[in-house]
Amino acid sequence: MSQSLDRRLRPDFIVRMIGLVFFIYLFFGFMLLPCLNTLTSIFREKNAAGEADPFAVIRFFLAGTMGRYVWNSLKLAVCLVITVNVVGISLVLLTEYFDIKGAKILRVGYMTTMIYSGVALVTGYMFLYAGDGMITSVLKDRFPDFNASWFSGFNAVLFTMTFACTSNHMLFLRNAIRNIDYNTVEAARNMGANPFKVLWKVVLPTLIPTLFSLTVMTFITGLCAMSAPTLLGYDSINPEIVRLAGSSVADESFPQARAALLSIILAMFTIVLLTVLSAYERKGHYLSVSKTKAKLQKQKINNPVANVLAHIYAYILFIIYMTPVVMIIVFSFQNHSAIRGKKLDMNGWTIINYIGKQDYSYTNDRGKVKTVAGAISGVFSNEKTLGGIKLSFLMSAIAAALACVIVVVACNYMFKKKNKGTGVVLEYALLFPWLLPTILICYSYRIYFNSNAVWYVGNQNLYFKENVRFLIIMAYTVTKLPFSLRMIKASFYAIDEELQDAAKNLGASGLRTFLKVKLPIILPSVLAVFALNFNALFTEYDMSATFQSPQAISYAMVIQGMTADATRGANMNALGRRCASTVFIMIVSGIILYLVYGVGARDLGERLEHRRKRRELWARLTGESRKEKAAEVRDA
Amino acid sequence: MIKLNDIVVKFGDFTALHNINVHVREGEFFTFLGPSGCGKTTTLRTITGFIEPVSGTVVVKDRDITHVPIEDRNIGIVFQSYALFPTMTVYDNIAFGLKIKKLKKDEIDKKVREIARKVDLSDEQLGKAVSQLSGGQQQRVAIARALVTGPAIICMDEPLSNLDAKLRVQLRNELKKMQKDFGITTIYVTHDQEEALTLSDRIAVFNKGYIEQIGTPNEVYNFSKTEFVCNFIGDINRLGDEVVAKLVEAGADVDPAKHNYVRLERLHVNVEPTGGQVALEGKVTMREYYGLYIKYYIDLGSQTIKVIEKNDGVRIYESGQSVRVILDPADIMAYAPEKEEEVRG
Repeated sequence: MSQSLDRRLRPDFIVRMIGLVFFIYLFFGFMLLPCLNTLTSIFREKNAAGEADPFAVIRFFLAGTMGRYVWNSLKLAVCLVITVNVVGISLVLLTEYFDIKGAKILRVGYMTTMIYSGVALVTGYMFLYAGDGMITSVLKDRFPDFNASWFSGFNAVLFTMTFACTSNHMLFLRNAIRNIDYNTVEAARNMGANPFKVLWKVVLPTLIPTLFSLTVMTFITGLCAMSAPTLLGYDSINPEIVRLAGSSVADESFPQARAALLSIILAMFTIVLLTVLSAYERKGHYLSVSKTKAKLQKQKINNPVANVLAHIYAYILFIIYMTPVVMIIVFSFQNHSAIRGKKLDMNGWTIINYIGKQDYSYTNDRGKVKTVAGAISGVFSNEKTLGGIKLSFLMSAIAAALACVIVVVACNYMFKKKNKGTGVVLEYALLFPWLLPTILICYSYRIYFNSNAVWYVGNQNLYFKENVRFLIIMAYTVTKLPFSLRMIKASFYAIDEELQDAAKNLGASGLRTFLKVKLPIILPSVLAVFALNFNALFTEYDMSATFQSPQAISYAMVIQGMTADATRGANMNALGRRCASTVFIMIVSGIILYLVYGVGARDLGERLEHRRKRRELWARLTGESRKEKAAEVRDA
Repeated sequence: MIKLNDIVVKFGDFTALHNINVHVREGEFFTFLGPSGCGKTTTLRTITGFIEPVSGTVVVKDRDITHVPIEDRNIGIVFQSYALFPTMTVYDNIAFGLKIKKLKKDEIDKKVREIARKVDLSDEQLGKAVSQLSGGQQQRVAIARALVTGPAIICMDEPLSNLDAKLRVQLRNELKKMQKDFGITTIYVTHDQEEALTLSDRIAVFNKGYIEQIGTPNEVYNFSKTEFVCNFIGDINRLGDEVVAKLVEAGADVDPAKHNYVRLERLHVNVEPTGGQVALEGKVTMREYYGLYIKYYIDLGSQTIKVIEKNDGVRIYESGQSVRVILDPADIMAYAPEKEEEVRG
């Protein structure tokens, strides 16, 4: 008896101990200590006299111009909440609620932000709307009074982010509206309410919880905006943190402490907002009481004028969403002179922006013809770009996988009844990074690990040279933990307790039950989370830009650097390569989303059915080709 | 075969099972019957090993298995939800236990196909996902999976409760047939008295963590040992004091100090009373039509009594019609109010 107990306890015990030590190491080493270091650094600052002055930075903040960055971020966040909600609600109503002709095509257009975002999207918008951008140039030609530099600073950031940040609306609000019980709409109509009254009194109130969450998420997105303000030139918090992080005491007063202070301000806003959100969510939602839900039917707009206006509005939005995508795809196949001139050249079609190398010749001031070898190169032929792709690919894949593994192991632990208490502690530890802006985490890593004094990483300077790649992978992993946990935890609820009992009854060990029964059930969700994590990290800019290391130039940083500043010589088709890069990202993201939501959502029955169809098709094809061959032989 | 000796199970301060004693014989179809929360599933889970009792022993074939791990007990289970692994095909579901026992591949294949044939699953169905099967087919997979490893006992936890009424009756019959064919000792948990009566060789009626009665369906129904059992199983009339008084007056052997009950089908309307039977005057107040039979509510003045008559098309009574209800005092089941406690003691 005791022997068998020993046998069963021992490996289990060891595994659990290793797991425990790992989580403690991860939490303290890569979450708490670096961030605490940042938090306390502002109080450790020395003043001009060399004395420790805990309030120096705060006095500086109150006296100087630092408040401007906070104010600008707040302004952006508040404005975004309004514009993104207006546009986002419009998109969902136009495609799901009202009967608009061509809703399916409209939906495809409105969803394009799901396949490209961040730097890729902002550069796409710049390509159209910047001073020398295509659309601005056309407008300037038509209307000479038009302000060509309209697309810069706050306007540009607000415009771009308004349309870029509606992905969540298209995901969550769309789901919420599709879950409305149509019978409630019919009941309201039956009692004499017109469609707009129904929308206002019956439909929208049920969407309020979702809208509230979306509003908070949008607000945080606005506060923590990074790529748009950086590229479009707007002084908000995050770009300033990154700038200060790279600055030195020789240039300005205590830049590090100021960066830390700004990070903390950002973190405080985030914590307050998330607390409000979770308190609200805990209050509970309006749950549909209906057991027999009717599918929502599209509402016809009876007033002809309103109907026409709604259609016009829908298609204007469609054009706004689709133009950058179409233009980027088209121009990615154009040569460098067409792209520079922002005019379509029907003779200028090429795939050089994707693959291949060309030399570039020009006549210099003295009339000499000079040739620069390989000045024109495609995404997959340019070492720097390819290097960025490879590095981002590797770092994102490792981090995405690592986050999934950590969360799966943690969930498996949390979902065992006997571990309830420690499970809660573990869950909060994994959600911890959610409270902190990613920039704060990256900034903390950069400062904290840029030293030989951190004993628990073997006194290695992790910010030094290639070590930084490990640091970025850790930052990627840690920042993806909360999202992964929320998603994968939900999938664990799908595991019926009786399944585990059944496996146990049939003689399976704990490990075998996990591998053969539980894992296959959650695997689609885990792979989906892996894919979504990878998708987000592969093109991320904010974090790698915070590290600002020449040894870790991510793909997004490479894209950001693709500017056509060299009129002579190198890098001639940087803009073309930027377009091609964006197309490449769209394809990668598109495939991932298809795999996640298309293929991944199928259950075993559907997969077997697909396999059977494929086999039938194959048999038919090979059978026919065999017959053809036989016929050929006969003819011969 | 299976002996539960003085089993006590506690969840914290709450005692879920009080000194449960059951003896299930080899090859028997034995049912645990009772309302929800009465301890029947807890008893089953104690036998399968998911719950460890505070005291008492579980003995199977003279071997004490009280502390034997779940997987070493050699007891098959069919779960309420069937608990079929959704990511495996039907074949893999059935083969799961055999693979764990590390049988050779061709042996596994032989066993899986053999059991599948016995429970009427085709080769084509073996290659399907469990989600592609109907409720009845899923149940057969669950049974095949539980039987394929050759357990000494099979336990079923309300396996029919997820199905609609018609399928439930159909599968009930199949279940009984399969149990007979396999000849395996079966422990069956249900709250459905009809299921229990039709399927079982013997029934244990549970209430609040105690066993009220163990007996054949006929014993439990016609000779209910306690007031709870007679109320829980089937519909019954409790005779009021005035009716009892009338019976005593007519010379019947009825004890007014006890609670007296009579089953609905033991009463008859407008027939000639024979030796010892007593006639009571009344008026039909309501009629429920069931097709096979008709249920009458008859007002006897002091109380309303329910009577069931076969719907033979000959004797049909309307509301308001005056009738005579014929009662045989020998059909009365009587319980002393404190008897319940005695049984539990």
